Amino acid sequence: MKEKLKVKSSKLEVQKIFLLLATCYLLLATVSSCVPQKEKVYRKSKILMDTLITISAVSDSGDKADLAIEKAFSEIEKLDKLLNFFSDKSELSEINKNAGKKAVKVSPETFEVIERAIYASEKTGGAFDVTIGTEITLWDFHNKVKPEDKAIRERLSLVNYKGILLNKRASSVYLNKKGMLIDLGGIAKGYAADKAVEVMKKKGIKSGLVSVAGDIKAFGLKPDGKPWKIGIKNPRAKNEDDEIMATIELTDMAISTSGDYERYFIIEGKRYHHILNPKTGYPADGCRSVSIIAKDGAITDPFSTGIFTLGAEKGMKLLEEMGLDGIIVDKDGKIHTTSNLRGKIEIRGSQGQKRNN
Amino acid sequence: MRLEVRRGKKEITEGTTVADKLLIVALMIISLSGFIFIKNVFPQGTDVRIEVNGKSAYRLPLNTDTTISVKGVIGDTVVEIKNRKVRIKESPCPNKICIHNGWVDRGAIVCLPNKVMVFIGGSEDRQNKTIDAIAG
Repeated sequence: MKEKLKVKSSKLEVQKIFLLLATCYLLLATVSSCVPQKEKVYRKSKILMDTLITISAVSDSGDKADLAIEKAFSEIEKLDKLLNFFSDKSELSEINKNAGKKAVKVSPETFEVIERAIYASEKTGGAFDVTIGTEITLWDFHNKVKPEDKAIRERLSLVNYKGILLNKRASSVYLNKKGMLIDLGGIAKGYAADKAVEVMKKKGIKSGLVSVAGDIKAFGLKPDGKPWKIGIKNPRAKNEDDEIMATIELTDMAISTSGDYERYFIIEGKRYHHILNPKTGYPADGCRSVSIIAKDGAITDPFSTGIFTLGAEKGMKLLEEMGLDGIIVDKDGKIHTTSNLRGKIEIRGSQGQKRNN
Repeated sequence: MRLEVRRGKKEITEGTTVADKLLIVALMIISLSGFIFIKNVFPQGTDVRIEVNGKSAYRLPLNTDTTISVKGVIGDTVVEIKNRKVRIKESPCPNKICIHNGWVDRGAIVCLPNKVMVFIGGSEDRQNKTIDAIAG
């Protein structure tokens, strides 16, 4: 009688344990299904436009994301073929070769980029100017060669965006002086990011991120429902730990950063970098880095360059006037942000940098 | 009352039953499946992916020291893996930015002229949990 009872009770316990086991597995299953398996971020990188481009797409299907990302890459490739300064076959080269000779008929994309470049030139009072091309060809940042002062001075008269004549009806571009050269390096990447996002949206992608080197455009939200988190490079990073100066969360916005730390060399303690002041032909020295946030990459890209040239004080004033957001690190390392960014930007800080806003 | 207490004490001190053994086995299974579960949800950075001109070329373990020559568009890029770190040892490119990058244990090294990209897998995901892209 006693034995029977024991067996019965152990049977009951076995049942209890199985129940416990089942509950545990159910719990595990629920937890793992909470980790977003429905929507995922698909990411791919390619080298195009002489830089590293990374595209992310949020989708519930890997095939769908892959197709959209590939379409976006081929759009960028197409733009690169039209706008490449170094390629002999680009439409841009055609315009440059015919400077002072004749107007060149171009595709709507090329026309639009140049139109938007001129807009940025007008707003910045010429601090951004795509006709800087003639001066850029004098500098060699790979081999650390500083051109002769005389050569720089001689070509200055060829730097003036007002010499770009657009004919909208004929979709043509004419440079009115022989030797003038348009270099779209300060706007093409931002514009390409805009176009890539457009293509992905058309392919049914609701959220993603396109980064063409330092020009980034974000749209929609991540699978966890949060906006995209973008880091801004510290212009004087010493190691991996202080590489990021600040972070900001963005959705349906573009951000571009121009800095004096990308392509540069130092001679006798003076830093010569790739952002040339169109007024002087020499590297602009008012800032270390400028980041601009706006709806379009075709705005953020040229304005980050133009405001870098304007310097912190004039730059901040223009940003507030235009209602654009920006973060400027001035030549002393002090950080300035537009008033609208207060509370939205997380500054990690770094050595020698003080905040001022 | 006193009798009940004594009986309870007696039951606890009895030897292990079938049920006890089953409980131990069940607990072991649960804890083991927990390990597997965590490994799947939080993958560690253990592989190195090398791409050439946008196409996947090699996949190597990060914990095995290796040196590999990768044919790019202008020549051979030599990638070295040592002590769970990766570097580009030799490159045919003019500016050698990739070589100056030095040893890296997360993220990526890119040689633009030779179109060679080296990604450290897994750890890239861990980094991306905090930041999605870098401007500048």
